[in-house]
Amino acid sequence: MIARDRNWLLVFATCVVLAVVYPFFADGYQLTVIRDALIFGLFAASLDFFWGRTGILCFGHAAFFGIGGYIMALVTLNDAIPLGSLLGIIGAVSGAAFVAAIIGYFLFFGGIRGSYFTIVTLAMGVICQQAAVSWSSVTGGDSGLIGIPPIAFDLGGLPVDLSQDLPSYIFVAAIVAVAVLALWSISRGRWGTVLTAIQDNEVRAAALGHNAPLRLLVTFILSAAIAGLAGALYVCMAGLVAPDLSGLLLSTEVIVWVAVGGRGTLLGPVLGAIAIQRAQQTISSFNPSLWPLLLGCVFVIIVFVLPDGILSIYARLKSLFRTRRHAP
Amino acid sequence: MSDVLLQAENVGIRFGGLQALEGLNLTVRDKELCCIIGPNGAGKSTFLNVLTGTLRPTSGSVRFLGHDIAGLPLHRIARLGIARKFQIPSVFPSLSVEDNLKVARGGAPSPARPVGELMELVALGNRAATLAGALAHGQKQWLEIGMALAIEPRLLLLDEPTAGMTPQETMATADMLLRLKGEFSIVAVEHDIRFVRALNCETLVLHQGRRLRSGPFHDIEADEMVRDVYLGRR
Repeated sequence: MIARDRNWLLVFATCVVLAVVYPFFADGYQLTVIRDALIFGLFAASLDFFWGRTGILCFGHAAFFGIGGYIMALVTLNDAIPLGSLLGIIGAVSGAAFVAAIIGYFLFFGGIRGSYFTIVTLAMGVICQQAAVSWSSVTGGDSGLIGIPPIAFDLGGLPVDLSQDLPSYIFVAAIVAVAVLALWSISRGRWGTVLTAIQDNEVRAAALGHNAPLRLLVTFILSAAIAGLAGALYVCMAGLVAPDLSGLLLSTEVIVWVAVGGRGTLLGPVLGAIAIQRAQQTISSFNPSLWPLLLGCVFVIIVFVLPDGILSIYARLKSLFRTRRHAP
Repeated sequence: MSDVLLQAENVGIRFGGLQALEGLNLTVRDKELCCIIGPNGAGKSTFLNVLTGTLRPTSGSVRFLGHDIAGLPLHRIARLGIARKFQIPSVFPSLSVEDNLKVARGGAPSPARPVGELMELVALGNRAATLAGALAHGQKQWLEIGMALAIEPRLLLLDEPTAGMTPQETMATADMLLRLKGEFSIVAVEHDIRFVRALNCETLVLHQGRRLRSGPFHDIEADEMVRDVYLGRR
């Protein structure tokens, strides 16, 4: 347990160092690519926080990403609202949390678990995407909303303007680092232990006095809030919001990122998201139709060969060599 | 009457056309130890489910410290001070012994017994870091008893605590319970007669959902009718 925590912190520290030195070697375009990938990494970590610890898969997590994105867009595009960026982020986070609270309340306290939960959340994602398309007077319909201003706020008299590549990269990287570290410390502590217990045997945990539905609900709300934050950051960086940000495809992709990176590791999904998006850009540049095929194959191979994700390669190799050494 | 902890009155339960329990009474006083025995299918586990509030009786009532507990959510029942050990060992296999007990202690209204002491009590003192899923069957049963103790119960309900244990483990379990006797009330459902003999306490014999006999174990053991039922002659 202690050794595992140390390893995690070691990998985390390495990632932070890499993120710090990266701007010295990258041009503006490469910075924005990694910045956007990091935002999706945060989104993947938010799904992993729930899925990894509870074993319950949410198949409509993009709904929260999209809700965060749309709220951010609507708030910052409205000139009548002061402090647009700040209020937009607060609104995005609480809006996603609110929707998760309502849906989660009925599902968790109604005893919906496992695949049933997955199916209901799948429908939730589809509903959200459809709502974004149909409610065109507010959401802009199929074409979405454009012209969303970059994040800008006052930090104790110091104006922060994230319209440039480097400041926005630093801002996003810092938020992702802090959020992942926070999620990790929650999930390794007592809260996470109880969630593992609930995953193992919910009835038993309840018979010991734990309010299992409430714990699951709070975890789900927190997960959705982080997804909403990621959505809000993304639309400000991209400058636009569109219905597919809450769609089924993104919900599926985030699951692939988490599975490839390693479910339950929080850091793995971030790396998974970055790696897959980099690969997608490289491969799509010489053959756009090849990508979905490759992604599917990689996903299947990972699930079979490395069910614990790419971060487990080291542990796998170690145990492989250990058995070799002990073999007669 | 003031020291009555749990009172079941005229409890009956019907599953469709099957009268699973009928006219059962049980009074458990504070710090009392008692056993419920009976052949397979006698309704022991069903009765225990009624006593823990997980099954609502179709007739009669179950009161714990004067509160009707039927149909309360599980975690509320636990917080009233009722701990339960399930028939199938239900520990958390992906957590260590220590974390299992920590989780168990986390739900307690006022944690008192330290985890280390709990591990000693259930003979798992040297297994703190072992994953519960890797324990031997008997040790899982003990761990579960330890988890039930961790919530500082007023009443501990044990559903076949010695199922699948070796005779030595069964006796060790009986010793464990006798050591705990006097701290809180214990109700054990069991069909291992050696275990019940070792506990030598007030015993209720069920047969086909009804009370067959009740009284101190040595009277029960001497009873012809009980012997007949156990040997399957009736």
